[in-house]
Amino acid sequence: MNANIPFLVPILLSAVATFIVKAIPYYASFLDKLPPFISKCLRLLPIAALGPLVFPGVILDFPSHWYAGLAGILVAGFIAYRKRGIIFPILLSIVVTYLMLL
Amino acid sequence: MKTTQHTELTFKQGCSEGIPIFVGYFPTAMAFGLICRDLGMRIWEAVLFSMTTFAGSGQFLAVSLIKGGAILAELFISVLLVNLRYSFMGAELNRNLDKNVHGLSRVLLAHGTTDEVFSVAVLHRRMIPKGYLAGLELTAYSGWVSGTGVGFLVGMVLPSELQLAVGVTLYAMFSALFAQELRQKGLRVLLISGFSAVLNSIFIIVCKLPVGWSFVIAMLSASVFGALITKDEEVQP
Repeated sequence: MNANIPFLVPILLSAVATFIVKAIPYYASFLDKLPPFISKCLRLLPIAALGPLVFPGVILDFPSHWYAGLAGILVAGFIAYRKRGIIFPILLSIVVTYLMLL
Repeated sequence: MKTTQHTELTFKQGCSEGIPIFVGYFPTAMAFGLICRDLGMRIWEAVLFSMTTFAGSGQFLAVSLIKGGAILAELFISVLLVNLRYSFMGAELNRNLDKNVHGLSRVLLAHGTTDEVFSVAVLHRRMIPKGYLAGLELTAYSGWVSGTGVGFLVGMVLPSELQLAVGVTLYAMFSALFAQELRQKGLRVLLISGFSAVLNSIFIIVCKLPVGWSFVIAMLSASVFGALITKDEEVQP
């Protein structure tokens, strides 16, 4: 993000984008009439988003130790798969990444 | 379902059904507050973010794009797309909602829609009164907003050596979400998100595309790919 833009701008922009999609169904009904294939694609968007949210950022963010973040997310994923809850996997992943960066 | 048929769907009932959502949101919102601080935001900006957007994945996506240097149009389109599922949830909620909800209360109830609120409310499988939904959403909302502030404050007392490692928080959070989806929905989650991860890496490292557009193209292609390999009945909002 351009350093000259205050955080307020992306914050409000994301609020507007989210409110639009949340409010549409309360005021319009075309969503019930979309072709089934399109609505199937739309429902899969959150899963499709997970991949690019992690890669390649998790590797590029630690240029001196490319494996540090990778080790962190593997631990987080493994723990989260075995147990419910989100804060413990994240904390453990920070510890692992910290140790890898030492 | 016998017990739920007899419960009165009041504001109070909504609040009490919202408590588990509050407990679930609070730590996730803490992670969000921590990331905002890491990014250089002020506490009021982080809290305002949670108050005005109130969408977990949308907010995490937005901060990751801000961090990656995306332009505003990329940010807007990406957040819109990743939150599109709320349109479908809202459509379903609206079908069951008390028909006498208008004006400002309609706007506020729309703003309060989240995945968890949707599941809890719609599972009653009958008409949803305004008061009940308001209680449910308000409780969830307060967990999300207060968690953001607390997470930010926790970040302030973190020792400086840990600061670099905290950069993994966002990725760890998505990795944990991925693992939960994988456990619930099976191998196709790995196929779809793996597909988009590979595409995005190629776009950024080989083709040198800007992060925001690369994200949008990778996500859209993977959702089409996903729709081709998924049976209709497996896709729920």
